[in-house]
Amino acid sequence: MTNLRKPAVRLFAAVAAVSLVAACAEDGDTASGGGADYPDQNITFVVPFSAGGPTDTVTRLIAEPMSEELGAQIVVQNVEGAGGTVGSGEVAGADPDGYTVLMHHIGMSTAPALYADLGFDPMADFEMIGLVTEVPMTIVARADFEPETLEDLIDHVSENADSVTLANAGIGAASHLCGLLFQDALGVSLQEVPYEGTGPALTDLVGGQVDFMCDQTTNTSGQISAGEVKAYAVTTPERVESLPELPTTAEAGLPELEVAVWHGLYVPAGTPDEVVQQLSDALVVALADQGVIDQLADLGTAPVPAEDATPEAHRAKLEEQIETWGEIIADAGVEQS
Amino acid sequence: MENRRSLPDVLSGAIFAGIGLAFVVASLGYDVGTLLRMGPAYFPLVIGGLLVVLGLAIVVKGLVAGEAIAFGAIPWRSVVMVVAALVFFGLTVRRAGFVPAVFVTALLTALASYRIKPVTAVVVAAGLTVLSVLVFIVGLQLRLPLLGPWLTF
Amino acid sequence: MDLLDNLALGLETAFQFENLLYCLLGVVLGTAVGVLPGIGPTATIAMLLPITFSLEPVAALIMLAGIYYGAQYGGSTTAILINLPGESSAAVTAIDGHEMARQGRAGPALAAAALGSFVAGTVATVVLAVFAPPLARAALQFGPAEYFSLVVLGLIASIALARGSTLKALAMIALGVLLGTVGQDIYTGTPRFTFGARELYGGLDFVSVAVGVFGVAEILRNLENEKTRTAMVRRIANLWPSREDLRRIVAPVLRGTGLGSLLGVLPGGGHVLASFASYAVEKRVAREPERFGHGAIEGVAGPESANNAAAQTSFIPLLTLGLPAHPVMALMIGAFIVQGITPGPNVINEQPALFWGLIASMWIGNLLLVMLNLPLIGLWVRMLQIPYQWLFPAIVVFAAIGTFSLDLNAFDVYAVAVFGVLGYVLIKCGCEPAPLLLGFVLGPLLEEHLRRALIISRGDATVFLTRPISATLLALAVVALVVAVLPTIRRKREEVFVEDD
Repeated sequence: MTNLRKPAVRLFAAVAAVSLVAACAEDGDTASGGGADYPDQNITFVVPFSAGGPTDTVTRLIAEPMSEELGAQIVVQNVEGAGGTVGSGEVAGADPDGYTVLMHHIGMSTAPALYADLGFDPMADFEMIGLVTEVPMTIVARADFEPETLEDLIDHVSENADSVTLANAGIGAASHLCGLLFQDALGVSLQEVPYEGTGPALTDLVGGQVDFMCDQTTNTSGQISAGEVKAYAVTTPERVESLPELPTTAEAGLPELEVAVWHGLYVPAGTPDEVVQQLSDALVVALADQGVIDQLADLGTAPVPAEDATPEAHRAKLEEQIETWGEIIADAGVEQS
Repeated sequence: MENRRSLPDVLSGAIFAGIGLAFVVASLGYDVGTLLRMGPAYFPLVIGGLLVVLGLAIVVKGLVAGEAIAFGAIPWRSVVMVVAALVFFGLTVRRAGFVPAVFVTALLTALASYRIKPVTAVVVAAGLTVLSVLVFIVGLQLRLPLLGPWLTF
Repeated sequence: MDLLDNLALGLETAFQFENLLYCLLGVVLGTAVGVLPGIGPTATIAMLLPITFSLEPVAALIMLAGIYYGAQYGGSTTAILINLPGESSAAVTAIDGHEMARQGRAGPALAAAALGSFVAGTVATVVLAVFAPPLARAALQFGPAEYFSLVVLGLIASIALARGSTLKALAMIALGVLLGTVGQDIYTGTPRFTFGARELYGGLDFVSVAVGVFGVAEILRNLENEKTRTAMVRRIANLWPSREDLRRIVAPVLRGTGLGSLLGVLPGGGHVLASFASYAVEKRVAREPERFGHGAIEGVAGPESANNAAAQTSFIPLLTLGLPAHPVMALMIGAFIVQGITPGPNVINEQPALFWGLIASMWIGNLLLVMLNLPLIGLWVRMLQIPYQWLFPAIVVFAAIGTFSLDLNAFDVYAVAVFGVLGYVLIKCGCEPAPLLLGFVLGPLLEEHLRRALIISRGDATVFLTRPISATLLALAVVALVVAVLPTIRRKREEVFVEDD
């Protein structure tokens, strides 16, 4: 690269010309998409959150068996921003040919309530492929927080509503939503302390700077088993395999608080039915894969039953959730942005 | 101490004050809150105000005892070309595709130089296009079409 | 002794041929991608992270750590050679590093960075192995109030970054802080100064701002007078540091290492202060502080050492408590999870081979990095001889692709143009870009911790003074301010007399 004399420059020009021609030719071949011979090119799974986060992890886990089943390479791409709405908007506007697939979680159902000018309609602009997993959440507190059980916590919080602090990982994050539900169930309004992501929130919880929070098992189970934080309950109807000692909210006396971070796959509206069906079938196969089951168990969760990994079940879930969260968020007085 | 006016001082001070003011004005659209419970507007309002003050101080100092700085000529053609190149890239990389976007961007940038010959600029642009394809598409597996929807038939 | 057993286990793990290979691969890839203009370390790691997913856990994490150091070192190389920092610490390196390159001393600058980083990496590895658990506990004493005071101290110390007018440096810091407020407010979700563009909700990208105010502005300045520029870079004074250079960097490297090791442990933003703090300290203790900003090798060696030490010790909260100190560490947490390891305080007990292997591999990674990069210095320096007509379009094109590639966000590219022009005009007016970047990085931390401290204390503003660590830091800040202002006033008087001649 040092001394670019004339022959080198000429060589560059020649290589450039050849590769341009080659590029044109190659692209022309693969321009078509969709239809009977789906899939005949790479499929892109868009994750609207950062690489390495829980949603990204779940996506990569199921992408491998799905790719085998479909007989096409699946490429995971992270398009971050604005609580997942940037990536979602991108997929909503993509070609409905089944080659651009979105993985999103519960945030899909809260976006209409949280964002004034969303730019897409979750129900109308997507075809649902199926639900993937429902990650349980846990209510955890700093290790030296006085309440010992969930009932103690309820009493303590009700009595000290103006001094207790409730951390969350940012507006619209799963921990924020769970916190809203908790306050709703108790009929109290607490001092919320938002953080930028779960990491810093958990750091301050372990450090004793804030009192308690509610977050996904993916994030909290390590701290719980090490005793760095105090755990009160898990927010799903059943106990979690990786934390067998931890009661459910129903067992511990707060059945109103039931929430899980559900994940689902989407394609743009207008994608041919047979393509949607093919993707859904592949999802069902992937969720039955023992490797996927084991890895999800390590994360404190499990695949949804096969009947939920379908477009119909997914559509019904999203519709119901949009309504539920719309009310809760409006009641809580969270401002639209 | 003799009075010494400094155009660069006045200009930079005015820029600071102007940007500070713009942030202050835009902040007023958000909730300010109170000192003890700050809204989204509070912090930018304070810092924006501070920047206005600092900017005005620089203006005043520039009028009384400015720094001696040779401002020099502005290479208008270079500025326009580089900005045009970046904007072109942002606008077209998706729809026209990676190869045409990079080629034109490189060509526009190369033409920012006053001394470059048109032939050299084309050669530079072609060479950089190849290099970019090799580094980003082949090497780093960047998921962008070489030719975008505008140019596929 | 336990420690020796543990280190033996770690070295045994790290020296397994396969792990060694992945460490080398990580370092090479990290450096190669990190030197690309427009791609900072965070982007490099995000891009290369998926490669590690298919590996065994130990190999994956060792490779990832290698990528991290490689990316940082690669970023410093770009900062020194073409004045294009990919992260805040490299912006400090660029101040004197690029000045050295302009004087034909890119070789010594790169060597100082490599040697300083290696020494810092070695010391920080020992710190990590010996003191990790108690340091992590101590770091947890830092709450929002303490971080706020720490950032205030950092901002005041950073006035030292300016070689010219203090007033303009302050204005640049304030401008940077303001730019840092663009995006969604984390406390209310309100989008600020985004003009309705959802792409801006996440805020302006650091790399876009840095590429604009450093890279593009520099190119425009060079294009003002193309003849001088080409003549200037062809002259290469020497490739290796002289004995005098080496003598000069010993103390800064050691001070930087100490400072960086301590600051890196703090998960709430300590590591971003490391290189700034080191630069401020070096300039303060130097016998001829006026050399700083004009190619002082201490201004490269100190901050680079501090940064590398902090990079290393910022693994402490992650490894001992499972808590990420910054976005890169959050990516590492993801890698743990993908590998089926639950991040948390138990990793050290449940996965001793992984824990100690990773620590040992950090040192090996630093060793590989210095072995790889010292011979490469000649190649890097020769890159400066590429005719400028080739070099500057390459910088602009790579920067455009690089900033675009992470989120496929065109706004990041437009931001380069906007900040390029703004930076160019301001630099022409005698302002300096480094304080702006510092403000941009520290501003959001300042606001975040200020507001959080007030929320948690129920609006009791005395919390900053009643908490002992916070009060101490604020007292230090006052001292730093006095020390910073006094000599300026005195010098101003002298200057007035001198300049009137």
